[in-house]
Amino acid sequence: MAPRSRPSAVEVVFESFAAVAGAVLGIWLLWGIRSLILPVAVGALLAYICYPLVTGLERYRVTRGLAITLLFLVFLSAATLVVSLVRSGVSTEIRTLNFKTRLLHKVNERYQDLMGLDSSPRGTPLYRFVHEDVDPIVDRVNRFLALTPEERARFLEAHTRPDRPADSDVLLAYDRANFEALQRRGLASSSGGGVRDVPSSSVTRPPAHREKTPLAALARILSTWIVAPTVFLFLLRDTGEIKRAFLRLVPNRLFEPTLEVLADLDRALGGYLRGVFLECVLLGLALAVLFVAVGIPILWAVALGFLAGATNVIPYVGSAVALLVGLTYTFLAGEIHPLLPMVKAESVAIWLVVGVLLVELLKNVALEPLVLGGAAKLHPLVVVIGVLGGGILFGLPGLLLAVPTITILKAFVSSASLQLKAYGLV
Amino acid sequence: MPESPGDVRPVKKGLALRGLRELLLPRPRDTESVDAAGKGSLAVFGPPPETMADKRGRDFASFLRKVELFEELGDADLKRLAQIAHERSYRDGESIYEQGRPGIALFVLRSGIVEITRRKRNGHELPLATLEPPASFEELAAMGCDVVRWTSARARGPVTVVALGRPDLDALSRTAPLLANKLLRKLAEVTARRLQLLVEAQLSEGEERDPTDGPEKPPQRG
Repeated sequence: MAPRSRPSAVEVVFESFAAVAGAVLGIWLLWGIRSLILPVAVGALLAYICYPLVTGLERYRVTRGLAITLLFLVFLSAATLVVSLVRSGVSTEIRTLNFKTRLLHKVNERYQDLMGLDSSPRGTPLYRFVHEDVDPIVDRVNRFLALTPEERARFLEAHTRPDRPADSDVLLAYDRANFEALQRRGLASSSGGGVRDVPSSSVTRPPAHREKTPLAALARILSTWIVAPTVFLFLLRDTGEIKRAFLRLVPNRLFEPTLEVLADLDRALGGYLRGVFLECVLLGLALAVLFVAVGIPILWAVALGFLAGATNVIPYVGSAVALLVGLTYTFLAGEIHPLLPMVKAESVAIWLVVGVLLVELLKNVALEPLVLGGAAKLHPLVVVIGVLGGGILFGLPGLLLAVPTITILKAFVSSASLQLKAYGLV
Repeated sequence: MPESPGDVRPVKKGLALRGLRELLLPRPRDTESVDAAGKGSLAVFGPPPETMADKRGRDFASFLRKVELFEELGDADLKRLAQIAHERSYRDGESIYEQGRPGIALFVLRSGIVEITRRKRNGHELPLATLEPPASFEELAAMGCDVVRWTSARARGPVTVVALGRPDLDALSRTAPLLANKLLRKLAEVTARRLQLLVEAQLSEGEERDPTDGPEKPPQRG
């Protein structure tokens, strides 16, 4: 075979320029479609997690199409169940108004207690230290939760008629207290309701989300997130075409090293993702049991446990969210009836903290070693810096995708360097 | 490098490998009777004309059906195998794999001629065999062993091979264990037959070299 002649300077310059232009174009395109990155990544990761289920069903002679359909139906059923449970929790407008009234009262009551504003208008030293920063936030919460004059009229009508609910007196007392609080803050309207549409002097600008209608916001979300189930379905349908197409682009001398690297990446990422998914499910279940034990109603316990389990994809956040949502619920709920005899209503918060810490310990000592094993073990410092850096650079997508990205990069770099040396390419 | 298929020794009838065009070990002593030796080798080693693969075969699965490794597989199994196979093209003289490097794929020759060589300690390349479609080679790499190639393979002219990677075959053992089992059995059978072929070739050379010696001397290693 005749030796290949060395490329000329013009060819080198042209190829370099083409490579740089291609890279810039790629980055520009990626930036343009950045809103699709998270839905695509979520769809792809879910497909990766569910792939063994589909291949497992194929082993029992279920065709791939049927297996995917079954999986999709399971997800759809689960989503429908969750939505119907949430809706049944707040199914009527009056329930929504009751909830907002109760919530606003609790927020103001706890704030007054914490800052000592009941006993003295100057409040505690803590209040004097933070009120300039915290008062606007509390104003914003009040404005958000306060009922409009029309809503308040419907609320009062529902709780003053003869067939009113049993807790109407309590709710009416909350409503009066809320109105007084709004008046104290200068947020009450003259017609006797909330002030959502009247800006306060302590607010610098109106919230941006109120400029769009709910329908427009829903359309915007659907138009991007419709990609996720589409990617999910098509990746599950793939029987190796994507891998074959990618390998066709690889030169012959890199063919076997690339096969090895892809296999290592598959092992690392697959093991990590499936392990994390299982860990999130188990953690969510454990937290749901804990919430039920401290007296949170079962529907709320399942919902909060699901939320905490889902947020566990971001390391260290799951337990923090569990603590936050659990404490928020106990803080705002009317009455708590703990199941465990040693847990009293007054000390629910303490037991909740202890319980979440125990679950976190269980996760670290038992769940992680069993479920994750040695899959893509990352140093905790790398995880913390990676997650924080991802969040700073890319917001929520960065938080969610930081650890999988670091896992892929780590596996790729270590495998590629090993294979290139083994095959004598470096 | 031998140019003709004359560098072969006849072995037992019935012991043949599809696609083994010529076995180049042991080295020939008489290079003047190439044609006669060539005819003899083709009679023993050459695959029957009807089993030679169609070099321009469009259907992957129908090509795989002609390969000895996969001759016991049904249509559904062949289709599944086609999903994990990669077709690679090599230029004349391009290396398919090199001695001393790790290996992770088995190859099936779809078109062209492949030359198998082994580099000796002094750096000389010793030709071992030439292969034509539908020969398979480097089956050990697919059998789950940490393989270091003990030979090199180079394309003689434009070559197309079908490669099956070990990770894909490992995945197949989870998703289709019966198919994986059939493949493993066939791989073991081919590997054993190849070993027997080489040993028979060595013994034949020993007998031919000194047929009058009383006790049989052990075959000398090349």
